[in-house]
Amino acid sequence: MSSIKISNLRKIYGSTPAVDGLSLEVQSASVFGLLGPNGAGKTTTFKCMLGLARPSSGEILYDGKPLTPQSFERIAYVPERNVLYEWLTVDEHVEMNRRAYKAFDPARARELLSQFGVDHRKRASALSKGMRTAVMVACAFARNAEILVLDEPTSGLDPVNQRHVLSLIINEAAKGNSVIFSSHQIGQVERAAETIAIVDRGKVILSGLVDDLKADRKIVEGIFPDVGFSLDGIANDPRVSRVDRTERIVRLLVTAGADEIASRLSASGATGIRVLDLNLEDIFLYAVSPVTATTDIVTKEQSS
Amino acid sequence: MTYIEWLRIRNCLKVLAIILVILVGLAVVLRISVARYMSPAQWVHHISRDPGTHESSVTLPDGTKRMILDNPGERMHVIIDDHGSAGTHIEVTEPSSRAHKENNNVSVGSVHVVESRHGTMTTTIIDTNGAVPMLYYMAIADVFALIVATILAAPLAREINGHLEMTLTKPISRLRYALGAIGVDVVGILAASVMTVAAFYLCQLLFETPRLDFSGVNTRAILMGIASPLAWYAMLCAATTWMPRAYGALLGLIPLGLLFVGLLTLVPTSNVVALFIHDVAWVISRFDPLTYVSVASPNSEGTMDYSGANFGFRISMEALFFVAYGALALWRWQRVEA
Repeated sequence: MSSIKISNLRKIYGSTPAVDGLSLEVQSASVFGLLGPNGAGKTTTFKCMLGLARPSSGEILYDGKPLTPQSFERIAYVPERNVLYEWLTVDEHVEMNRRAYKAFDPARARELLSQFGVDHRKRASALSKGMRTAVMVACAFARNAEILVLDEPTSGLDPVNQRHVLSLIINEAAKGNSVIFSSHQIGQVERAAETIAIVDRGKVILSGLVDDLKADRKIVEGIFPDVGFSLDGIANDPRVSRVDRTERIVRLLVTAGADEIASRLSASGATGIRVLDLNLEDIFLYAVSPVTATTDIVTKEQSS
Repeated sequence: MTYIEWLRIRNCLKVLAIILVILVGLAVVLRISVARYMSPAQWVHHISRDPGTHESSVTLPDGTKRMILDNPGERMHVIIDDHGSAGTHIEVTEPSSRAHKENNNVSVGSVHVVESRHGTMTTTIIDTNGAVPMLYYMAIADVFALIVATILAAPLAREINGHLEMTLTKPISRLRYALGAIGVDVVGILAASVMTVAAFYLCQLLFETPRLDFSGVNTRAILMGIASPLAWYAMLCAATTWMPRAYGALLGLIPLGLLFVGLLTLVPTSNVVALFIHDVAWVISRFDPLTYVSVASPNSEGTMDYSGANFGFRISMEALFFVAYGALALWRWQRVEA
């Protein structure tokens, strides 16, 4: 059982902060999803967590203790990019892991490779992008590690193998291990992660349990008879986190009390009132690009 | 933890082994082509069995075992001096009409044959199986070891350049990893030297039983043959660790660059510009481990002095370079980030 606690992490390259005061906590026996647009600081966060990059400030603790080289007996990592040795065969990568990590299970690695459809006799240079990811994933999951740090572990994999990786992630949490992973496939994160953090420009802009985030957040939409309408103070309600106006249409992102806000909107003269649910992708888009999110959500709702 | 480095060395030594096997193969071809010539030992044995030959033996005051074969009927007189580990000296005097007509002056391995004609008689002097200076072996081994050292000299740069996420997430400190990788490479470079010596020993064995001389300058040659490739390796290792993205170019260009600098130090200092070029090149060359690779130094008469003068300084410089350049590489490696 292992947990990770990151406090006020900052990493500055030159004068540009890649990670800017990021804090998060990964509970033991859980799956944590880290979401964010490109360049948000996810990979840098992982690198700081693993000592691959030196944090400018902040603290990272594993079960209350800082990272040491010996910690890597308990931590498995799948990097975002291909780091396999092109001139080695898959078998030699397995052997390298066997020699490096005491708990590494080569039989399990070969079993996973077989499930992913990787030919273990091939050199890494002869593998496709997806197969290379599969090799890194197989070696990581054969480590019997208590903590798995996975940076886009499904990158390049076909849908069947993507689903397989998700099963492995969920299975690790069921075994009592902690998994923190990032992915641009938000549907996968929604399926596997219990807790998420959305990162943008190096900061956590939203975090919490996936179910809570989804239950709390709704969009309330209404149409006014003419463009000169007034919201009668609805926009100032603390439960309304964002207001988008397009001609006669208004869309409100509310974090609680959606029905009550809808009634107030109706009372102020709006018609065609609708309360829309948000999935994780909607929540993500709202967090990082609210205008895109509103348009996208409403268009999707109307077409369905 | 150093499995990858072992595999790199295995691949490198595999290529070296192929090259050495080809060289041994060429030696076998050469041996077969000269097989029709009788060896000196066989030849002496052949003469001593002639019924007309009188054989006598004596031990000279210096311990040399002298055998004299005299065959009046054939007008042949042979003196064989066995100097033990210093080889065998054979003098054959026979009618010119019977003397060997081919290869009047031959040197193959430690066998040297010189023929001289005196009227109707010819004297053939054969010096065989003398000690072979280890210096010769080490000169060849050093070349191969330097090539292997150059190939292997980017163990940390190769990791920085594409595998850092894998290397630095092993349960071992950065320092121990780097020391392990460098240590493995050192073993590989020494193995290259040993393999080369073994291959050339085998080549010589095809012709005679080699007796290697390890004394005096030869011991110094062995020490220099070990130290100089390691210092060279450390220098390249430091350079590639500091500029990991260009490690391939560095491994190719540094040897050429330093060779060029070495040539510039020979520029005659006839004018101010030449003097300036010479002085700059001279200063740069002080940081090149190969500048100090020598077991002899020129003396005031313009000849080479093999007595070992300045050898302590030169070997110390090689050791210093190995440590200093190695420390530079490690210092950089400790600070590298993915």
